Formats: sequence, structure tokens, C-alpha cells
Amino acid sequence: MRPVDATAWLDFLVEGSARGIARRTSRRGLLGSLGALLVGAAVVPLLPVARGAEAPGKQGGALDKSQDPTQCEYWRHCAIDGYLCGCCGGSASSCPPGTEQSAVTWVGTCHNPADGMDYVISYNDCCGKGTCGRCLCNRNERDTPIYVPFESNDYDWCTGSDKANVPYHCSTARIVAPAR
Amino acid sequence: MSAVGAARLAAALAALLLGSDTALAYQPQVNYMLQCMGCHRPDGSGEPGRVPSVRRTLVRFARLAEGRRYLVSVPGAAQSRLTDAELAELINWMMDHLSDLPATGIAPFTAAEVTRNRRPPLIEVSATRARLIDQTR
Repeated sequence: MRPVDATAWLDFLVEGSARGIARRTSRRGLLGSLGALLVGAAVVPLLPVARGAEAPGKQGGALDKSQDPTQCEYWRHCAIDGYLCGCCGGSASSCPPGTEQSAVTWVGTCHNPADGMDYVISYNDCCGKGTCGRCLCNRNERDTPIYVPFESNDYDWCTGSDKANVPYHCSTARIVAPAR
Repeated sequence: MSAVGAARLAAALAALLLGSDTALAYQPQVNYMLQCMGCHRPDGSGEPGRVPSVRRTLVRFARLAEGRRYLVSVPGAAQSRLTDAELAELINWMMDHLSDLPATGIAPFTAAEVTRNRRPPLIEVSATRARLIDQTR
């Protein structure tokens, strides 16, 4: 006769459960399920979901020009009139080596299609070297004729600076603040 | 909605109805960026020998009747595309944010005052400015 103790009922329960699982399943079945899980996890990223945030500026495989700082169509260049510093050894925000940013500048607003907001953009000329000559861009949004001088961008901001008539090289387009 | 917000909305709606450029009603800080900062620089200090600083003259001029006329009739102010109300709001903002001297006790500019003094634009800018500086020493 089997000895009876307080935990015998638990042993009986676990044993019955384990035998039940062994009858209903197989090792092959377990491997098959694990395999399906692994393959499924690998396939999920291939599903056709939107991945706009992954590659901003890319549409249909080609770079969206409105988000490419080396293009005239770049959104910050909406009111520029000059050579893009991004093509001249600098960037849309900084002057190329060997040039100096003009203190006086032309300021306008541009709409960023990526976030739907308008921004104040400062178009500082870079001065001190001969004309860059690459990537001329003349978009002039909200520019006024020169007889409305305070909102005309047709001036060479390098002329008459402290450095006495240093030559114009290229133009930057710095974000100053949201335009609200 | 705050009173300021309601006033701004009303101004924007009025401008829309009038078909004016001022439909883009900006805060005075942004109007400073768009109308003044290009020459006077972000802090109002200008460029020595080329663009005058406003930092030590704005409040001093605003204490004199002729100085107040000067501030709204200098070409950059008088010929800007701001409405009279926007120009008044902008000069008040500049006194509060760009002046080295406190604007305490100075009456704020109003649209009516700007309307009275904005035209004709000042021609003798440098001479008038020098005279005002002498008067406020």
C-alpha cells in the first residue's frame, strides 16, 4: 500500500497533467510551431506598411527636392537669390571655409511641407572669396521690386561691410524661428 | 480665448476681409525678425558705422514728442507693410525686449499715435537722430 502523505494529491495532479500533454503533443509538433513563429517574425517587416518616418525626404525612391539642402527647390530656399553655400563647400546654414557671414541680411518666411509650418529664414551672404558660381538659385518668394527696398532681396549684403567691399561668394538659409 | 488672442483673431479676420498682406498677422517678435532684424540684428545692436543700434536710443527717444515721431516715421518703420496697430505693438515690444534702459513710465505707442505721425516718412534721418541724441544727453 502506498504511503499517504499531504502532498500526494499534488504529485498525482502534476503526473496526470504531464502525461496528458505527452499524449496530445509531439516533439515534431513543437519544432514545427517554433519554426512557424520564427519565420512569421522575420516576415512581418516585409509587409507593405507605411515607412515615411524611416526615410524623410524620399518619395518613390527618389530624394524629395524640397528636403534636399543642395537643391534650389529645398524648402528653406523659397526666397533665396544667389549661389547655394551647400554647393560651395559650406551648408544651408554655414559659410564655406575662408568666407565670413554678412551681419546685415535679408529675412523672409518659408513653408516646410514636411511639418506644415512656416519658418522665419535668414538669408545671410557669405563674403570674402570670389563668386562661387555653382547652384545659382533665384526663387524670390515674397521678394519685392527694388523700389520697395525693405523687402527686396536684390542687394549684395557683402558690399559695404566692415571688410570694405569684400566679394560675394554664396548665400545661406538659416532657420531663425517658427513664424507665428 | 484671451483678450490678446481675441484681438489678434479679430485683426487677422479684418485683414482677410480687406484682402491685405497683413492676413499673416504675426507676433511682434516675428515682425521684428521680418521687418527689422535683417539690418538691426537679433539684439538690436546694428552694425557700427552702417546700421545704428536701438539699444540705448529707443527709450530715450520715446520720452520726447519729437522722438516718438522719429521712431514711427524713420523709413524702415514708416514704409514697412505693417498696419499702424502692428507697428505700435512692435515698437512697444522692442522697448521691453531690446532696450538697455528700462521703459518704466513711458506711455505705450498706440495705433492712433502711429497713424498721426507715420506720414510723411522722415527724410533727414541721420541729422534728426543726432539732434535727438543731443537732446537726451
